[in-house]
Amino acid sequence: MMLTSKARLFATSWLMLVVLLITSGVPAAAQTSLDVERIQRATVLVMQTRIIGSSPIITCVGSGTIVSRDGLILTNAHHSLSGANCSGDTLIISLNIRPGEPPVARYQAEVVQANPGLDLALLRITRQVDGRLIDRASLALPFVEIGDSAGVGLDDTITVVGYPGIGNDPIVFERGTISGFAAEPSGGDRSWIKTSASITGTMSGGGAYNQNGLLIGIPTTAPLTPNPATGNCISVQDSNADGLINTNDVCIPTGGFINLLRPSAFVRPLLQAAQLDISISFPLERVISTTATIPTARPHFRYLGFSPSVNPAGMPTTIIRSLPTGSNSLYLFFDYENMTPETVYELRVNTNGIPNPNFSVSPVRWSGGSRGLWYVGSSGQPFPNGNYEFTLFIDGIAGDSARLVIGGGPDEGAAFSDIVFGLLDSAGNVTGTGFVLPTGNTASARFLYRNMTPGGSWAAIWYYEGQEVQRTDDGTVWAESDGASGTKTISIQSVNGLLPGSYRLELYIEGRLAAVSDFTLAGGQDGSFARIFNNTHFTTASTVQEALSAAPISSFSAGTSPIFAMFNWQLIGPGTLWRIEWSVDNQLFFSQTQPWSGAPTGSNFLMQIASPAGLPDGTYRLDLFVGQIQFDTAQFRVGIGQLPIDRFASAEGIALRGQVLNSVSRDGIQGVSVMLISEDYSVADFTRDWNQAQLIATATTDRNGRFEVNVPLQRGALYSIVLLAEGFLPITADGVEITDENHPDNSPIDITLELTPE
Amino acid sequence: MSTTIIEVGEAPVELTLRQKWSHYFVIIYAILAIIIGVNLRDSAVFATVPYSNPQVGITAFYPHRWMIDSSGDYVFRVRDMAQTGFKTAMQVNIIPVNSDMTTRNILETLILNRSQTDSTFRVLSQEPIQLADNTEATRMTSTFVASNEDPFLESIPTVVERMDVIAVQGGQAIIISFLSDALTFEQNYPKFEQFLNDVDF
Repeated sequence: MMLTSKARLFATSWLMLVVLLITSGVPAAAQTSLDVERIQRATVLVMQTRIIGSSPIITCVGSGTIVSRDGLILTNAHHSLSGANCSGDTLIISLNIRPGEPPVARYQAEVVQANPGLDLALLRITRQVDGRLIDRASLALPFVEIGDSAGVGLDDTITVVGYPGIGNDPIVFERGTISGFAAEPSGGDRSWIKTSASITGTMSGGGAYNQNGLLIGIPTTAPLTPNPATGNCISVQDSNADGLINTNDVCIPTGGFINLLRPSAFVRPLLQAAQLDISISFPLERVISTTATIPTARPHFRYLGFSPSVNPAGMPTTIIRSLPTGSNSLYLFFDYENMTPETVYELRVNTNGIPNPNFSVSPVRWSGGSRGLWYVGSSGQPFPNGNYEFTLFIDGIAGDSARLVIGGGPDEGAAFSDIVFGLLDSAGNVTGTGFVLPTGNTASARFLYRNMTPGGSWAAIWYYEGQEVQRTDDGTVWAESDGASGTKTISIQSVNGLLPGSYRLELYIEGRLAAVSDFTLAGGQDGSFARIFNNTHFTTASTVQEALSAAPISSFSAGTSPIFAMFNWQLIGPGTLWRIEWSVDNQLFFSQTQPWSGAPTGSNFLMQIASPAGLPDGTYRLDLFVGQIQFDTAQFRVGIGQLPIDRFASAEGIALRGQVLNSVSRDGIQGVSVMLISEDYSVADFTRDWNQAQLIATATTDRNGRFEVNVPLQRGALYSIVLLAEGFLPITADGVEITDENHPDNSPIDITLELTPE
Repeated sequence: MSTTIIEVGEAPVELTLRQKWSHYFVIIYAILAIIIGVNLRDSAVFATVPYSNPQVGITAFYPHRWMIDSSGDYVFRVRDMAQTGFKTAMQVNIIPVNSDMTTRNILETLILNRSQTDSTFRVLSQEPIQLADNTEATRMTSTFVASNEDPFLESIPTVVERMDVIAVQGGQAIIISFLSDALTFEQNYPKFEQFLNDVDF
């Protein structure tokens, strides 16, 4: 140790003081597991801007949350991505510097991951607000951790945090409860969490926290096209420089009130990909024969119907006319066409003529494809008796409606339900049941029936890509031999072979739609199952052409990038929805469903996975799906085959901050170095080597002598501290420990230290 | 009547030889103490710690009690953590160059990169110099504004003066940099001068 004897004497005396101060640290916030201060600091205002003339004009505003210490911000896609309603090109991030005050612009950010359908985006802080680039490694921002949204239940208390205005208002904390869950095909029964909290439109993109202070949802609503006349937007700048601020100026969408939270479970893949800094590109050249068409016709919904439950393929189990008293799940099914990820849809539910927000869905982005069968519903939430009217809106315009009576006893009428598809074996049994079948001459469907009346009329109609291709003869009646209840099998046949693609079966009883289900024909036959993708393998090369002829590799050296993945495919119809999933160490970081737009059969579908700094070590897996079925999988290793451990990934811990004063003048001292030494080293080790590798954090005091150590301290760990400033005796302390006894909660420790002039 | 005052003083006493030598020794001891003190101070202030990186082929001596860091995009960097305000720093970077590249090209690349990443970056001067081992080099002086990265603190930005010494040798360019608060640049510069004289690559 290189301290003088005088300094050493001082250091020893200060050691006791520092320990004393730390052990008696004054909690800066109320004792609660919800770390209000950390959440406040991590909540940001996101402003999208563009330069008009020589002035930056705000085009969109929303809230966001910092989710990593190096500046990843979770927010909504609709106010982050440039689009028709948000035409900016620069994202400005404002922080809550002082509680109770409006946010202050500090940084610029860029979108690094986004899913417009889920309306989620991850931004990365890249520059100071004045445009200076920021070294990501130098950032140490307060952040919150993502919680388990699957663990929340009805009536749980939550706190929603965000900015209620367009920059003039401080953060608000809105308390509420979870009032239900909304179901969609994009995420199953928990596609949305509904809340009773009062959330304004610009809080969209902020955070909803459970009682442990973990982020479990993102308040989300998609504003409609800005229209000053409707009051859904505000003009605050003279963007056209005519000397007036009026309806001719840029109008910032503010949205209405929000009752939905996008569960945090949807965030994890995006966050993983952003943290790993991995990008995936596909398809690369020579594979695609056609290009996906972007719908230009007006989007619309049709054929609204209700079902009490949904099967694993997202299909209604049956179609009902009423629901008995005490029912707690209901799904509204409908066909959709010409939808895009930017389309905003909304469901308004009236019960006995009165708006019922519990079962309504506030305006949100469309998360499905452009055409297909969709549902929105809820389960686990009791439906009171009454007459329900469900009305769907597209971009704020009312579309189709459907009505349903809930109450009374179960419907004892004739019904069809639980359609499954498969191939008939030689004994006439349906095998390989599912919703994806191999192409061939025949496809069969099996369904349940009950309360059927012999002689009553029924019909089965088969469709291929929306066109009717086969139906039962007119006047077909229910055979007495089939009985009132049981299982029935029917088939669709073609001597020339059924084309690959999307099929639908509709079943009618007495002219009423009783059951409906879609299924897909794709791939060759492999026993009773389809074989669609095969020969998935990986390689590395400097060009795409080289990759096509390079030998397969399953283990790559550390830092390899790019890596190419290739697979063959057969008999996939255009428009067939298929999904790619990438995982590393069994953690999903990429999932994308898209319509097939290539040739029906081919080889070497090429995609690239890359990272600017080389792919991190890990075991990567590629899974290929059609529907819910995985049709091929393959994996490769990079480096040691395991992701590196990020010791700063956790926000758990206790913040240390304080003020350093001149012991004589009592003024704060600017520029003092506060160095926190890792638990593996002592002050003596550090002052012998003076090596930064031995530190876990450094801080420098500001003009008031205040400092903040940007790494949360852990209970039970022994830390050492060095305070150093020219002209003052240093302070050092070993063995500083935070225990449950000396600091029972997780509030920040705020200490005051005094340096004595030399 | 007149009064005459006659002052009667003690007759001057001749110092003994021993007393004379005592005085001489006191003066000599005082001078020696001052000289030793100055030397001790200098040796403390200019004390150095050796640094060696055989992989890169660099040896250097950096100021004692400056904190060393080799985790960034440089070979190493040392900083005076005791300095209040901006921490005076010296760092060594190495960038590969090809035979067609001149020092001028490297300078332009540096200026371009820094201008793009830092809107406050300004070049003050450029001039050819000769290092202690007669290696031809170029010295560039520039400024930029540094501020505390913690957005929650009230820190006043500091004007930093930076000196880069660039030499091309063996297919690589070595960039030795000195960064200091512009107000204390001259005061801190001798340490960099010593560092520059001692560095061997």
